[in-house]
Amino acid sequence: MNTIDPRIHQVLDGELPADALPAELRDATEAIRAAADLLAAPVPVRSLESRVMAEVHRPAPSLARRVTGWLATPHAITFRVRPVWSLAFAAAAAVLTLFYARDVGPQLGEHEGIAQFVGRFPDARSVHVVGTFNDWRPGTIALQDLDNDGVWTATVVLPAGTYEYMFVVDGERWVPDHLADRLVADDFGRENSVVIVRPVHR
Amino acid sequence: MDVIGAPSDAEIVARVLGGDAEAFGFVIRRYEAGLLRFATRMLGSRDAAADAVAEGFMRAYRHLASCREPDRLRTWLYRIVTNRCKSHLARRSVGDVPLDEAPPVADPADGEAELERAEQLALVQRALTGLSPDKREAFVLKHVEGLSYEEMAAITGERIPTLKMRVHRAREALLKVLEDHT
Repeated sequence: MNTIDPRIHQVLDGELPADALPAELRDATEAIRAAADLLAAPVPVRSLESRVMAEVHRPAPSLARRVTGWLATPHAITFRVRPVWSLAFAAAAAVLTLFYARDVGPQLGEHEGIAQFVGRFPDARSVHVVGTFNDWRPGTIALQDLDNDGVWTATVVLPAGTYEYMFVVDGERWVPDHLADRLVADDFGRENSVVIVRPVHR
Repeated sequence: MDVIGAPSDAEIVARVLGGDAEAFGFVIRRYEAGLLRFATRMLGSRDAAADAVAEGFMRAYRHLASCREPDRLRTWLYRIVTNRCKSHLARRSVGDVPLDEAPPVADPADGEAELERAEQLALVQRALTGLSPDKREAFVLKHVEGLSYEEMAAITGERIPTLKMRVHRAREALLKVLEDHT
């Protein structure tokens, strides 16, 4: 803040006569007065009288019209909630979501289970999973990275059993999943990942 | 404001409340110039100022019966328009710069002194717009509208020391801008 000599304020507030100010402080006082004079010049605008008087003479809208107008106008609604209530609402929403998700999830057969594939490929354009469950055919099961954080996931319903698999990155690079339950050597001197799918209903 | 031969504010208010809606025209003619200037300096835009003042007059007309001191109608009107201006500023997004804040375009027909004055006004208005709304309001009421701190307190509902501090800070900020451009 550019603090100025308090006597300048006193003169401008009429608490001190202007001639009591030293010569070196008078320029600042004059600059403020000149700026105020510029701003005090009349603003050339059309008179509002006809506009306002037209509104004055307009009949007041009926109650029904006012209510309809209020209902049709967007209003900001603000909730003031204690943090403890926010947490309670969040917990309730999580519980409801879990119940809802359980109700609408895939209906699994007696001998089926869920396999979740997760891989981190920050620069990938596409990631697929291939394995003994799809005869190593690329392009049939795609992983997704919806939030673009480089973590690709897919959830697949498979018959219960043990499967070997690999990821295919950008359609050409075959990569084992090092986070798999275990790894086994394949016939080509590489390693395949192994996933064990257990039946959900026992 | 009372002019010899013209009805006083209290008389006009009584006539309007008595059913003479046309008498409200006196109020508009008497105060619109000052209110428009005040709103223009607050909002930095003549169009927005016209809207704010028109809304203010309409609000004043509808709620005229609640004006407890009709002989201080001016203060009451400034309070209403001040609130309308704050409402406009609150609705305006951060990047929304009014078009007529732009410096005036030089007209060859204008004299050199007039052009220089227009440029100075644009500079001062820009500096004013750079102040916070509270400081801008205090500076304009004090130095442009020429009100006393007591009148300012009645309009804004703030304490006099608070208003003085705002005016002082506004002066300091304006002086810095003006010094930087000379």
